[in-house]
Parts: sequence; structure tokens; C-alpha cells
Amino acid sequence: MISSVSGFRPVTGTDFARGPSAAGAPSTAGAAAATGADFASVLADVAGTAVDTLKTGEASAIGGVTGTKSVQQVVTAMLDAEQALQTAITVRDKLVSAYQEISRMQI
Amino acid sequence: MIDPLRAATSIAGAGLEAQSTRLRVVSENLANASSTGRTPGSDPYRRKTVSFTNEFDSLLGAQTVEVGAISQDPTPFAVEHDPGNPAADQNGNVKLPNVNMLYEMADMREASRSYEANLQMIRQARTMASQILDLLRSG
Repeated sequence: MISSVSGFRPVTGTDFARGPSAAGAPSTAGAAAATGADFASVLADVAGTAVDTLKTGEASAIGGVTGTKSVQQVVTAMLDAEQALQTAITVRDKLVSAYQEISRMQI
Repeated sequence: MIDPLRAATSIAGAGLEAQSTRLRVVSENLANASSTGRTPGSDPYRRKTVSFTNEFDSLLGAQTVEVGAISQDPTPFAVEHDPGNPAADQNGNVKLPNVNMLYEMADMREASRSYEANLQMIRQARTMASQILDLLRSG
């Protein structure tokens, strides 16, 4: 059920790892590597955390339907999941737009 | 260390749980406000009280609220003369529950207000979290 959401993990994580190097922008990749966390691993990390939170939210929702969890627990977990998703999406959008900015740069 | 806004949501969630339990106890008391015993001379329903306690949540790094104990109110029962009642003793007296509707209503209102406050807390944390994200979106 969650697989459709976790699908964006390889898209943002791995494709972007190949993306900048294939597009011939080694300078940005090098700069990112120098500071420690690299572009792709940051994305993968954010997405991974988001997916975990979403899974928790989904498990809670199922628990709520079967009656093993209280409405409050379900709502809190769902809010957490929503928050994680919103953060992941916003960070991704920002990073993608930054990447596009670089790829649009005139050489 | 978890995100403080997320922690605030979770803490308020614990508050919601606690107040729900309180309302459950109030509802028990109200429903049993005139439940007498089954056998002659036996005790009727005894009013339940709920107490809260703070609990340190190591994951959140904060004190959350938990229902401490659901105990019984030791105040004496009211006695009424009603020989027709199955719980009446040989003198025809029936012990009635020590539930006071007025107390229960006040308790219910307090639970409701506290619930609202916790809900507002969640709403506020949510707004603040989305506001900081908006900074990334528009910028």
C-alpha cells in the first residue's frame, strides 16, 4: 500500500546521484561531498524518514479501523505522517529547483 | 531529540487521551447514577474518580500526561426507604450510589475544556510547522 509513496525514494535519491554527474556538473557534487552529506544521501535520508513515518501512520490508521487504537492515537500518527510528507515534498521541491537552476546555467 | 513541534503534538495527543479516559469515567458514573446492588442490603455502584500523573517520555524528552489511577470515591452512600427495590434490606432501606450529578457535570465540562485546549495546541503546532515550510516554498 505504501509502495506507491516509497516509489519516490529511488527517483529522488539515486536518479539525482547520477543526474548531476551525467549532466557534467562535478563542481557542485564535489562541494556537497566536501561538506559531508551529499545531495543524494540527504534526499534519500529525508525520504526514508518520511516513508517510515508514513508507515507508522498507516499502521495506526489500520489499528483505528480494527479498533485496537484510540482515535487520538490514529489522528496524532496521521498528523505526524502528513507533516513528514509535507516536509519531504517541500525539501524535494526546493532541491529539485536548485538542481534545475544549476542545469539551466549557461556554460 | 525529536522535533519540538512534533513533540508538542504528541504531548497534546497524550492530553487528549487522558481527557478521553476522564470522560469515560464520568460517563460510567453518570450511567450508574442510580444503579443499586443486586442482593438485599448490598452496596450500590461506587463513584469512580480519575487522577492524572506526569510521565517522562524518553523519546520525546518531555513530560507527558497519563492516567494515574482510577480509584473509588469513599464517601458514604445515600440511603432511601424503598421496600420494593430488590436491593432493599430487611428495614426496606436501599443504598444509593454516591454519584452527584452536579460534580459529574462539572467534571465533564472540565474534561471538555481541557480537551479543547489540547486540540488547540495541536492546531497551533501544525500551523507553526506549515508556516516554517512555507518559507521554503515561496523563497
